[in-house]
Amino acid sequence: NMDPKADVLENSDLPYGHILCHEKWRTSSLLQALKDGGVKILFEKELGVTDFHLPSQTRLLYVSECDIIAGNGYKRKLVRYRNASSSFQELVLVERTQLSEQYFSALQRFVVFDLGLSLLPVSGQTEASQLITQIVHGEGRDNPFRRKTSGQLLDSVTVISVQQIPGVGRVKALTLMQNFSSLKEISNASPAELEPIVGEGSAQQIHSFFHRNLITGHWGII
Amino acid sequence: AVTEPPPPPLPGSVSILMDSRSTGGMVELVMSLRQRHGADVHVCSLDSNYFIVSNRMAVMRQSQSDLAAMQNRKRLAERLSNMQGLFERVCLIVEKDRSKQGEVSRPFQRTRYYDNTLVALVRAGIRLLWSDGAEESAGLLVDLAKLESRKGQGIAVPLKVKGQRREEALQMYLSLPSVSHVHALNLLHNFSSVAQLMNSSVESIQKGGCMSRSRAEEIYRFLRRSCDCTLFTKTPKAGKIG
Repeated sequence: NMDPKADVLENSDLPYGHILCHEKWRTSSLLQALKDGGVKILFEKELGVTDFHLPSQTRLLYVSECDIIAGNGYKRKLVRYRNASSSFQELVLVERTQLSEQYFSALQRFVVFDLGLSLLPVSGQTEASQLITQIVHGEGRDNPFRRKTSGQLLDSVTVISVQQIPGVGRVKALTLMQNFSSLKEISNASPAELEPIVGEGSAQQIHSFFHRNLITGHWGII
Repeated sequence: AVTEPPPPPLPGSVSILMDSRSTGGMVELVMSLRQRHGADVHVCSLDSNYFIVSNRMAVMRQSQSDLAAMQNRKRLAERLSNMQGLFERVCLIVEKDRSKQGEVSRPFQRTRYYDNTLVALVRAGIRLLWSDGAEESAGLLVDLAKLESRKGQGIAVPLKVKGQRREEALQMYLSLPSVSHVHALNLLHNFSSVAQLMNSSVESIQKGGCMSRSRAEEIYRFLRRSCDCTLFTKTPKAGKIG
């Protein structure tokens, strides 16, 4: 971005409940609906191709039915939008209407596959305002889809893994784990080492499970 | 015995793994994948109902009304969370509802809850795709697989596992933490024995499994970790500790 003022604005956090809006939206129905929904609006002339700056480092570009029907101009705009990206999450709102429907599939491929941006279809400015209001008011809320660190107990995963050896049930799995320090150690045990622990038949079976050649069907040489 | 060469892939065809649980329009979708797009589709049992289109990408289908229904959120969040543990990239295809025969299709009513769900999904890094039905979803799946293939992430090993021994090894690989079905298939075809994998370096696991470094490191550590199995054994003298 060449404009130092825009840089300052982009990098500063918005006050809670506020959005930064391109000047051109000042008299739109979208904006009125946002105000009615309790969103506070700051105007900015220097937003480049971005239409809105939302909380949590999110930017939004609006592609209207008119843009889509008028042709390829919006594609250049989308490319510029993507290229101007920094640490922002970029959303593209697309007006999906009866008139723009026939172009939607190609537009989706361009936005999502070619540019790697997130596309959300809306029927018009009313739906767009509802969506933006949700983004603004939902800031800081717990996200149920954000990945939680797995609470899987690795000890039980190990027991399950050892039980995948043919002929080894839970009891034998636990016995093996008490006698060998890891799955790798079990795999490297010789039939002679396994025999006093699980018996002769199982010892052979376990050893062969680990060492038989899965590509040729032959026994591997250790 | 002679090594079975994998069947030569059709030019431009893609490999897709899918779960055996079927939901609305699945027959139509599979037909389209195979016949219209010439994709190599293998149906198997995955941990949840989704598609694997590359070594790192999985795709789930969800109808718009299911996505909008509040009672589905917990399950959806769980499924997506599991997928994010197994795959670097997770996509969700939101499909328009099919109008049942004799039923007048009602226009979809967008709610605050629905908008909130969409925003949360995007924020969680899940890529959303929009589809009019099974036929279009098939096209999106194939395009995703092709895109991934161009980036060197396409599934390059045979999807079918032949023989009981290989099936047994596959089950072992699938039991390892953070290993998806496609990683397990890669390991199966790139290591000559289970013991070879167990003794491999992080680099070899990463290469053989066609997986990320961190995933390979997790496996490497898991195979070497010792486990406190006294927790699992029934101790008759429960009162005595230490």
